[in-house]
Amino acid sequence: MTSAYPAPDAESQHAEAHEKHNLTGFIIFLCSESVIFLAFFSGYALLKTSALDWLPPGVEGLEWRMPLINSVVLVSSSGTIYLAERAMARGSLWGFRAFWLLTMALGGYFLYGQAVEWSSLQFGFTSGTFGGTFYLLTGFHGLHVATGVGLMTLMLIKSFIPGNYSGGEQGVQATSLFWHFVDVIWIILFVLIYVWQRS
Amino acid sequence: MTLATFPASEPKPSWTRYFSFNTDAKVIGIQYIVLAFFFFLIGGLLAMIIRGELITPEADLVDRTVYNGIYTMHGTVMLFLFIFPVLNGLNNLLIPTMIGAPDMAFPRLNAVAFWLVPIFGVLLMSSFFVPGGPAYSGWWSYPPVSIQNPLGHLISGQGLWLTAVALSGVSSIMGAVNFVTTIIRMRAPGMGWFRMPVFCWTALAAQSLQLIGLPSLTGGAIMLLMDLVAGTTFYDPAGGGDPVLYQHFFWFYSHPAVYVIILPVFGVFSELFPVYARKPLFGYVYVALASFIIVGLGLIVWVHHMFPSGVAEWMRNLFMFTTMLIAVPTGVKVFAWLGTLWRGKLRLTTPMLFCLGGLFNFVFAGITGIMLATVPIDLHVSNTYFVVGHFHYVIYGAAVMGIFAAIYHWFPKFIGRMPYEGLGKLHFLLTFVGANLNFLPMHPLGLMGMPRRVSSYDPEFAFWNVLASLGAFLLGVSIIPFLLNMVSAWVRGPKATHNPWNAIGLEWLLPSPPAEDNFGEHVPVVISRPYGYGLGQPLVEHQAEIEQALTLAEQQETAR
Amino acid sequence: MTPSPAQGPRFSPLSVVALLGWVALLIALSLWMGQQAYHWLPVQASTAAPLVDGLFSFETAVGTFVFGGVISVMVWVMVMHRAEKYDASDAEPIEGNTRLEIIWTAIPFVLVMAIAVYAMRVNTTLGMLGPMEHIHLRSSVEEAGGYAGDRLPAEQVEVIARQWSWEFRYPGADVSTTELHLQVDEPVTFRLVSEDVLHGFFIPAFRLKQDIVPGRAIDLNVTPTREGRYRLRDSQFSGTWFAANQVDVVVESAEAHQAWLAAAARQPLQSGISDASREYAQRGQSSKAGWATVPPAPPPQVNVPGSNTLPHDG
Repeated sequence: MTSAYPAPDAESQHAEAHEKHNLTGFIIFLCSESVIFLAFFSGYALLKTSALDWLPPGVEGLEWRMPLINSVVLVSSSGTIYLAERAMARGSLWGFRAFWLLTMALGGYFLYGQAVEWSSLQFGFTSGTFGGTFYLLTGFHGLHVATGVGLMTLMLIKSFIPGNYSGGEQGVQATSLFWHFVDVIWIILFVLIYVWQRS
Repeated sequence: MTLATFPASEPKPSWTRYFSFNTDAKVIGIQYIVLAFFFFLIGGLLAMIIRGELITPEADLVDRTVYNGIYTMHGTVMLFLFIFPVLNGLNNLLIPTMIGAPDMAFPRLNAVAFWLVPIFGVLLMSSFFVPGGPAYSGWWSYPPVSIQNPLGHLISGQGLWLTAVALSGVSSIMGAVNFVTTIIRMRAPGMGWFRMPVFCWTALAAQSLQLIGLPSLTGGAIMLLMDLVAGTTFYDPAGGGDPVLYQHFFWFYSHPAVYVIILPVFGVFSELFPVYARKPLFGYVYVALASFIIVGLGLIVWVHHMFPSGVAEWMRNLFMFTTMLIAVPTGVKVFAWLGTLWRGKLRLTTPMLFCLGGLFNFVFAGITGIMLATVPIDLHVSNTYFVVGHFHYVIYGAAVMGIFAAIYHWFPKFIGRMPYEGLGKLHFLLTFVGANLNFLPMHPLGLMGMPRRVSSYDPEFAFWNVLASLGAFLLGVSIIPFLLNMVSAWVRGPKATHNPWNAIGLEWLLPSPPAEDNFGEHVPVVISRPYGYGLGQPLVEHQAEIEQALTLAEQQETAR
Repeated sequence: MTPSPAQGPRFSPLSVVALLGWVALLIALSLWMGQQAYHWLPVQASTAAPLVDGLFSFETAVGTFVFGGVISVMVWVMVMHRAEKYDASDAEPIEGNTRLEIIWTAIPFVLVMAIAVYAMRVNTTLGMLGPMEHIHLRSSVEEAGGYAGDRLPAEQVEVIARQWSWEFRYPGADVSTTELHLQVDEPVTFRLVSEDVLHGFFIPAFRLKQDIVPGRAIDLNVTPTREGRYRLRDSQFSGTWFAANQVDVVVESAEAHQAWLAAAARQPLQSGISDASREYAQRGQSSKAGWATVPPAPPPQVNVPGSNTLPHDG
């Protein structure tokens, strides 16, 4: 049982240590989350390579130009979120908000592009294993993009609370890490689904 | 430096905290353990019905559909509602106190992870009451049979099962992130990696496996759920899918899962043998590192559960090699324990007996494990009672006994009272005899060709089945002295001092029970390796003063 | 395997002799257990059986020695290294011994690798772990051609697993049955297919097991070596009447087999064995309540139903 109340600077030390804990914990979580994508990716690859007729009847292949544009948009948003972090590190809160909002817009566009692509497709979730894995992968990824945009919204709102970011920006760091993660996953997904279209 | 002082009295915290959203890891630990044993009783009851059915060759006790639901739920409850939660309970109690931390890294996440357990527990139990009954294809839920859904309802036992397992996965991942962060970041000053108790090493290893493996199960289960309710065909050959794909997803997690179960038990053995032999852990560094070799190998053996499944021959040979290799780091640990015991000054207390019994059963299980790793033998005994015997020897014979050992050993620390030795020894005797009587006969049954998961069998299997059922009923009885002991010791057992076993470890430098923030800001500096029995060195700086303060506080308490 | 004691006083000649004596006893016990192991297994009715049993006997012997060694140490320690009643002091602080660590890492490593190599050799000799052929069935067996005779070698038996029955077809002889008949000492290839869910093709007396995966046809080779009647059991959980999905395998001489095939070809088709169908029909009248179940597939229509209630050898 402690007898003395902790000294004020001990408390901020404590808080700083806790920040590091939070980031460590979040990184560990992201490593684990990547495995579920790995599982879906390997499932996709296994089903594709062992299939006799991979594409559903009437489907010739996947249109890749629009998704490529989407990919460029998403990858750029990783750039903008990095710039946002840089702005915050420089102390420029409005610079941070500007790039942050830009990132959210790019992420939103990606989701819009995904929805447009989905609505234009000739096959559904239940169109064999091709349809199933396609929508599972893009859908699960899209969920993560949406979550990322949601987290960014939260961080944006918090940035208007005075004094919120004076001590640390772990929420922003974590969200940014998450966003980069979502980006890398997309790159792998794009290569797997859109680039590797012949067996 | 300021030392922690231990005021003689403080207001006793209310018992209602155990039923609330409390963020103290020690409260959460007790919550996990008590809830887990509640489900242990349910899983045990289901086992009694199974063995009741199997005491005769015919399917005469319950309908076959009922039997299938019961054996499925027995396995599911025992794994997801007993063994993983009880181990998380031990982690919560032991990790912060052993490393000198005030609590876990993320206390609120900790509480959320716990409260998910009763939620998915209720969800799983509710599957008994839906029109089609619970899931019925074993805890594996292999498609296509698991998703046949005879009634065609949207809410089916299997759907509830998948949802419950998914929630269990979320809870486990939350716990794993917490435990790993805590161990990596919150150790006491002076506690480098090789001054950390082995229990923390094995916990770190086990939780790493959870982080790496669970998402594979989640992914496979999501696809199964989609096949069940959304009309996809991931595992349906008619739609181009592959049932064996599910098996890969399932076992990529579920094999490491067995190491998640046994590694903490290895940790318990490594902690307790030194205490009750009054001797350092033999080869501490090797024991610690072997935990991670097991992690590495444990991730590349999963196909040994699929030897007859229809996998290529090169796969069978490869995974036979990797599986056999795991015997090596495991052997390092077993021999280390023997080395610890050798020339020790053994005290055969209840915790020690459970450890010794657990070790005995574990070595036996290890040998049948090698047999199962051998492809030609496995092709004969796979999916028979030989496997059931093997894994029950590990889970009940070794893991559960190790958990009992841990509970008896650390009960004084976290409850503040001593459990009763007589009841404890009786519990041990009934458990050891019951477990061997229940699970040993399963080996000849499997060798003779009795498949597992059967609700009836050919008459030539009757003899060993009767023996096994008698053993099971004995195991059922064995839980009585345990429950009696726990309840009466908790309520009116003799008060425990801070170190009734005269053990070396940070947790034993705290009062029994510890304050909410353990050492608080006054964490002692660790200055020597763990398990320094016979070396005459203090574990921490100012150890004598700390001990003095503790003893003084206890004397004042007694004088009251 | 008894770890050699680390340090301490030199051992007296008496204790060395006693230790060697104990080890010799353990070896004798292990060899004896290795022999006993054969009795725990069913009769050997295929070419695979002696190989599998030999491997199992070897592992039983080695396992007995290891187990016996570890337990001997434990018992010795529990008896001889106990603390005196009021002695609360510590024991000698032996923290480790690197040489011992190396020994007890290297020896198990070599041992398990040796076992693995032995097992791989047995795998190769067995030869029944043959290549799998994937034939993707898109529709029922009949529609997929039911395996026209010219696609299969002469001695091939098609095995169709269903919930919950076994059907065996001899395309060469145009015979179907629910009681598998095989010729002794004649290699046979099974082509295993399932019409619904996973099943397991398990004949304990042959020491073989192969899961049957819907959507594929899997080849499995065996050579029966002993005449008699043996059990074939479903070994991969397949639903409600999984446990009742058992039939017999009859291994008979060449003449008897040919005669059986000839007689069978003349029989009209009739309902074959399906214990599940029988129990399902009686389900309504039973007092035991149950949950919903997939209804059993109707009993296969075969030339020779045979029996699964006669005494079997293993």
